[in-house]
Amino acid sequence: MFVAIMMSGLAIGAVYAMIGVTYNVMFSASRVMSFTAGQLGMLGGVLGAAFIDVLGMPAILGFVLTLAACALAGVLTEIVAVRPVLKSLEQHLYVLSTLALALMIQQFVAIQWSTEPQPFPRLLDFGGGGPGDEKFWLPILACLVTVVGLEVLYRHTLVGRAFLAIAEDNFAARALGLPERNLRMASYALAGVIGGLAGFASGQLLLAFFANGALLNFYGFVPVALGGLGNNRGAIISGLVLGVFQQAANFTFGGVFASVAVFAVFIVVLLAAPQGLFGAPAQRRV
Amino acid sequence: MKVTRRALSLGGAGLAATASGVARPAIAQSEPIRVGWLAALTGPSSAPAIGFDRGVRHAVDAINAAGGVRGRKIELLVRDTQGDPTKAVNAAQEMISRARVHAIWGPTNSGESLATTPIMARAKMPDIHPCFVDSLIDPAKYPNAFRLAPSNSQIDDAVSDYGVQVMKLKRFAVIGDTTGYGTTTVASSSAAFAKRGADVVYKATVDATQPDVTPDMLRMRNAGAEAVAVWSVSPGLISRLMNTRADMGWDVPFIGHPTMGAGEVGRLIAKPENWRKTYILGFKNCSYGPDGKLPAHVQEFVDRTRGKIELNDTILWWVLCGVDAIDLIARAVQEAGSTDATAIIRYWNTVNNYPGLYASYSWSPDNHNGLPQTDLVMSEANTQRLGAYKLAPGYA
Repeated sequence: MFVAIMMSGLAIGAVYAMIGVTYNVMFSASRVMSFTAGQLGMLGGVLGAAFIDVLGMPAILGFVLTLAACALAGVLTEIVAVRPVLKSLEQHLYVLSTLALALMIQQFVAIQWSTEPQPFPRLLDFGGGGPGDEKFWLPILACLVTVVGLEVLYRHTLVGRAFLAIAEDNFAARALGLPERNLRMASYALAGVIGGLAGFASGQLLLAFFANGALLNFYGFVPVALGGLGNNRGAIISGLVLGVFQQAANFTFGGVFASVAVFAVFIVVLLAAPQGLFGAPAQRRV
Repeated sequence: MKVTRRALSLGGAGLAATASGVARPAIAQSEPIRVGWLAALTGPSSAPAIGFDRGVRHAVDAINAAGGVRGRKIELLVRDTQGDPTKAVNAAQEMISRARVHAIWGPTNSGESLATTPIMARAKMPDIHPCFVDSLIDPAKYPNAFRLAPSNSQIDDAVSDYGVQVMKLKRFAVIGDTTGYGTTTVASSSAAFAKRGADVVYKATVDATQPDVTPDMLRMRNAGAEAVAVWSVSPGLISRLMNTRADMGWDVPFIGHPTMGAGEVGRLIAKPENWRKTYILGFKNCSYGPDGKLPAHVQEFVDRTRGKIELNDTILWWVLCGVDAIDLIARAVQEAGSTDATAIIRYWNTVNNYPGLYASYSWSPDNHNGLPQTDLVMSEANTQRLGAYKLAPGYA
């Protein structure tokens, strides 16, 4: 019983964590909280099912095409919903523009795909449905790959360091000759890949369902708030803890009371540490 | 005799009045019988209306091809309400005021019906519908409204009767989704089990988008449930419950909502065997007996309409109920001899054991729930063929 709840909690938590990282990657490059993060996760599941189940492609090809399409959706977000409002960040117009794009993506999928959840294919046929089933392992594995991949990218590659530079101070980065706009677009593409990977890896858990976007937007935001805005390590740890806590609350309290428990803890944590558990208080020059 | 202009005018007016008085019944007796059909033909809850529509159109064509009712053809006025109560209200008002229909069939979902029923009652418009919510039928408040399908109370009784009296089980878990329907039905279904002396050991609502239901299923098992009553129209939630049941190796039966037998559920379950031991509410006339056949008169209808009515992608009772609705309106005009609203309602109030395809209906001035409890049965969820299911164990 303990193993079943832990595996289920870690798997769901891994998805929340990756959507949290998706939020962060987009935020770091643009200072914009893009509410298309959850929709990128939804697209990962729907496109994976469409390529593999409907079009009959091999799983590996379907996987690659799904990530490519999600990267494209990330770039589209940057061009359509972020770039036009960057000059007036303080007016928070991006809330409207990214939410509008998110709704458009969701409605488009509902019309073209289905309003009912559709099956997502078995990928490795491993685990036989128990706690060791691939539907639990794949999201955890995807989360691990994301963590390692981002660590390597940010710490050991020039492009990664350039990402960090514009995240730290984009004016200084531009002054140094870094192509800020191209790097921002690349960041959004990377966010698309991470969101798509989250959706693809959790397809067997969440099914290919147009409404998953709203769910992921919501629960993916919690690790960002708990972990501290822009803090990927915080988002990963908070996401995993959130998933386990949510499933434990489901088991302890049952039904809708589990959500009440989750958000009660969320509010208490934010009251105690408004900058998030892993975030530093914002410093201001005086 | 002096003919004055005033006398001529008065005489002319009198003649015109007499002529129109004579002519009106003659026109009324030859005009078509206008039947309004409030159908949610598009939108997320369109599946039932599409099924009903096939039966409705078949019945109208059949009656008109046979010469109509007392020589009058049936004219169908269809309005797509899209499952939206506001659109249903507008369509009902348009049918009553502008199209001047003689009777209305529908709406076919309770949300729309809750909005249209008082409007139709004010207009004294004869209305039959298949919606489940109990409060939609009240002969004192809505003397014009008649129900063809079961009420929620009847459904609760049928499912709890099957669990307690046929399966001989004592301990039940009752769960639903977090919609208004799921929440209210969990409460009413629990009360129905308790009324029969059973223990409701677990009662909860689950968000239909919850990715994994393992914790909920563990709680039900730990509470000692011998069967789980499921009240949800979400194929996603239902398939997760079935898959988790199989993954846990828990051999517990599911009983409850007909959506558990929907084709979408079949596509979402991990293995076909995960669909076993699931029993859904069904109807005697739409269930295959041990011989693999439907009741004789329904089997004859299905055989006769093979190739004319598509049954592979719908539910048989929707189609049959659509046929019965039109037949009952036509019969009312036939027996009453007119399309007068009062006459149609008066006839429906006398219907006793009317042998429909979907069920045998009885209405009276005090009871507008037409479907007898004995017509409700349980069916095996994974046996759908041509929109009908095999009877669940215990009926043979």
